Amino acid sequence: MAQTHLNNRERLKDIGYQPPAESDWLTGLHPMDPLLRGERLPHIWCQGCGLGTALTTFINALQWLEQHRGWDLDKVSVVSGIGCTGRVAGYLRLDSFHTTHGRAIPFATGLKLANPKLKVVVFSGDGDLTGIGGNHFIHAARRNLDITVICVNNFNYGMTGGQVGPTTPHHARAVTSQYGNFEYPFNLPYLAAAGGASFVARWTVLHARRLSWTLREAMEYPGFSFVEIIAPCSTAYARWNTEGTGTDPQKLRRRGLELMKHYQKVGRIGHEVHPKDATVKVDEKGLICEIVEGKFLSQPRPDLQAAIDDLAGGAEKRWGSAKKALDERPRVERRTDRVPRTEVQLGGFGGQGIMSAGRIIGQAAALYDKLEACFTQSYGPEARGGAAGSQVVIASDPIHHPVVIEPTSAIIMSQAAFDKYVPRLAPGATLLIDDALVNLPDDRRSDIAIYGIPATEIAGGLGNSRSANTVMLGLWTAAVGVVSRDAMRRSLAESVPPKTVDLNLKAFDTGYEKGKELLDSNRSRPEASS
Amino acid sequence: MNEHRGLLTGEHFLLGDHAAAEGAILAGCRFFAGYPITPATEIAEQMSTRLPQVGGVYIQMEDELASMNAILGASWGGVKSMTATSGPGFSLMMENFGLGIMLETPCVLVNVQRGGPSTGLPTLVGQQDMMQARWGSHGDYEVIALCPSSPQELFDLTIRAFNLSEKYRTPVLVLTDAEVGHMTEKVVIPSPEQIDIIHRPAVRKGDVSPDHFRIYRDMGSKDAVSPMAIAGEGYRIHVTGLTHDERGYPVMTAAAQEWNLERLVNKIRNHRDDIIQVEEAHLDDAQVVVVSYGISARTSLWPIETARKEGIRVGLLRLITVWPFPEERIRELSRRIRAFVVPEINMGQMIREVERCAGGRARVMGVNRPGGEILEPEKVLDCIRAAAGVNPPKP
Repeated sequence: MAQTHLNNRERLKDIGYQPPAESDWLTGLHPMDPLLRGERLPHIWCQGCGLGTALTTFINALQWLEQHRGWDLDKVSVVSGIGCTGRVAGYLRLDSFHTTHGRAIPFATGLKLANPKLKVVVFSGDGDLTGIGGNHFIHAARRNLDITVICVNNFNYGMTGGQVGPTTPHHARAVTSQYGNFEYPFNLPYLAAAGGASFVARWTVLHARRLSWTLREAMEYPGFSFVEIIAPCSTAYARWNTEGTGTDPQKLRRRGLELMKHYQKVGRIGHEVHPKDATVKVDEKGLICEIVEGKFLSQPRPDLQAAIDDLAGGAEKRWGSAKKALDERPRVERRTDRVPRTEVQLGGFGGQGIMSAGRIIGQAAALYDKLEACFTQSYGPEARGGAAGSQVVIASDPIHHPVVIEPTSAIIMSQAAFDKYVPRLAPGATLLIDDALVNLPDDRRSDIAIYGIPATEIAGGLGNSRSANTVMLGLWTAAVGVVSRDAMRRSLAESVPPKTVDLNLKAFDTGYEKGKELLDSNRSRPEASS
Repeated sequence: MNEHRGLLTGEHFLLGDHAAAEGAILAGCRFFAGYPITPATEIAEQMSTRLPQVGGVYIQMEDELASMNAILGASWGGVKSMTATSGPGFSLMMENFGLGIMLETPCVLVNVQRGGPSTGLPTLVGQQDMMQARWGSHGDYEVIALCPSSPQELFDLTIRAFNLSEKYRTPVLVLTDAEVGHMTEKVVIPSPEQIDIIHRPAVRKGDVSPDHFRIYRDMGSKDAVSPMAIAGEGYRIHVTGLTHDERGYPVMTAAAQEWNLERLVNKIRNHRDDIIQVEEAHLDDAQVVVVSYGISARTSLWPIETARKEGIRVGLLRLITVWPFPEERIRELSRRIRAFVVPEINMGQMIREVERCAGGRARVMGVNRPGGEILEPEKVLDCIRAAAGVNPPKP
């Protein structure tokens, strides 16, 4: 049998337990003391509340696991939310986290993913877990996160005085449903199972031993385990939803127990019951008339961590190729000529690679020509085919204003982009167009140089019309001459899929040659009148 | 484990958002929980690809509330953690940002600001969450918030955010904006040996005997930051969002509130000198001082240059740390200058701090834009001229 705190007083000191004086040993040491923060007792729960029992069945289960499975209880973490059940965390002598209302489960998610060796248990109430916390509840079940969620269901929000909650039965009375609850409650086992839980069970606090056994099983079970514990709320819910207590003071004091006796009467054990049939049944007056308990579901499947680990291989490979590209980048010297602030505007429609083209220019300038470069982009509202624009600012000195004000060159590949951006060009700017896609209007500006080639057709001729933007980049490099050809080619090679590098370089070179031709023969577009 | 596993040391032409992710990774962040939101989604995307490469965990939570809590949980599991969002998500994170402060949990929250309020302008710049960053959660607390002006600085300040959060055991904000987050510039990623990386003061198994261990130190003690015992080390800690005593147990009294709150607040206030960073230019002879942050500080540089060429003695006080606010510096300057100019992409937020600290001793003028685009240089220049009492030069 494992050495546990039960039978070794010295070890009690290890966990910060202050034992009472020797003379009190006869009555001072309870078997559960090692797992209770005795200095915080008595607890805040009401006479007749089910939480005391819920807590001790949990401690029981843990001690069994420690003794029979060798569990290291230092590795058990409990996370709770807000409410009476949420206070459980504060009385347990374990690593415990009393978080905010509804958020115990995401906190537990982070905790478990950060340290998979921890056994994480969420211990909270019906309102906390399935009201405000409902979304987190179903997603943790969906992920099959390896935690155990213990939900103490007393059918109302007890801490705040007994308001109606997501599990309050139809027609039952609560502080905020004084005419009877017009809403329908969750069937919690069904909710958990539908979400994707691997283990689903329900007991009432009267089933103390069975509950303890099930909690033990749930904590050992891989994946998302859910245990609903039905408990009385003697001060609130039981006061208005127990038959026959009347105003007899004796009975009122025992109302928690009266309610449990009623649950015992109307309860039945049904392990074979499907979670969808586990709804707590009520009569027209809102009084519970049937509760089925048992272990409804245990269905293992790989938990979240296993699923994550399964796919880890791809990451290593991807990093390997990125690192290789980084290490193989040639070292280049900083340019010695001074480049004044130069603004480039690119425009077209979505799908033409306007963004990639702008980025390639910026990257070429920044990493290969060792200049300062700033690249930004803009989109129209459409998902596909809408307007696309990008801008690059290049200079030798640090760039203050990151966006273009009056561009000195532009790459335009659609009519709409022409209409939008050409009016903003600086006098003397260079405009490069795909002249098969852009028609020059008669009243166009005469103070700019315009060079056009049918880039999309050229790219198509080379093998892929999608490289039209690359052809335009070649044209731009030749016509404007701000970023070096070498830098552009290197940046391009680094930016396109490896299989398309050759095609793209060819497209770039073709555009570049055409650009050189046009420049040499000074063949910018003639005046509109001719 | 190889310290360099998965790192991408070298020069990159990097999107601001991606730079934030890389900075986090270099600082040792190995857990990210987030939710897609423009314009911060690229941070999540980069983390989702890169974290598995460095042996970390990326998880996309069901909403921003879950994301904020998950990063707190991960931090208590011993892992440096981060989330990223924009205005609407920032609002959702507020309650549990407060939980992080109360529990004294190191973690980083990046807000890539956009135009608001409400759904606003998802794809366009704003600087409208500055006051929310300071006061957004309920209750009294101090906050650390950093404001970068470029992708390189976003990278650097994310590292600094982690260092500050670990050192002071508090969530730290990186307040950037859609302009910086979505611009691409050169970013140099140094190797880990070249930078300082700070880890939380930690208590591990066997360091202290558990019955002597007090989870929160008294304010009177020399080191205001209590060593952190994470889950699983055998200290059987209890932490709660309720007001608590030095054992971490809830105590519902005014005395406990005073003890706890003064601890939390003074932890930051008493270390302002260490935390606050500003960039100063031309302040010695300044008559007008431009006080700005983030992208607006950057776009003020050209107006300042131009104004100085016109003979106006204008200087720059750039807030790299925006919270805590550099009150002393503003007070000092207000005693000898003519006016402050505060350019920001909002209806006037940080200007209130400048006004408060200037105490009426210097004029304070704002240059504002409600969001969507960065400030026009001419407007900032006009304001500088007006602040200096100079008419604009004839066209």
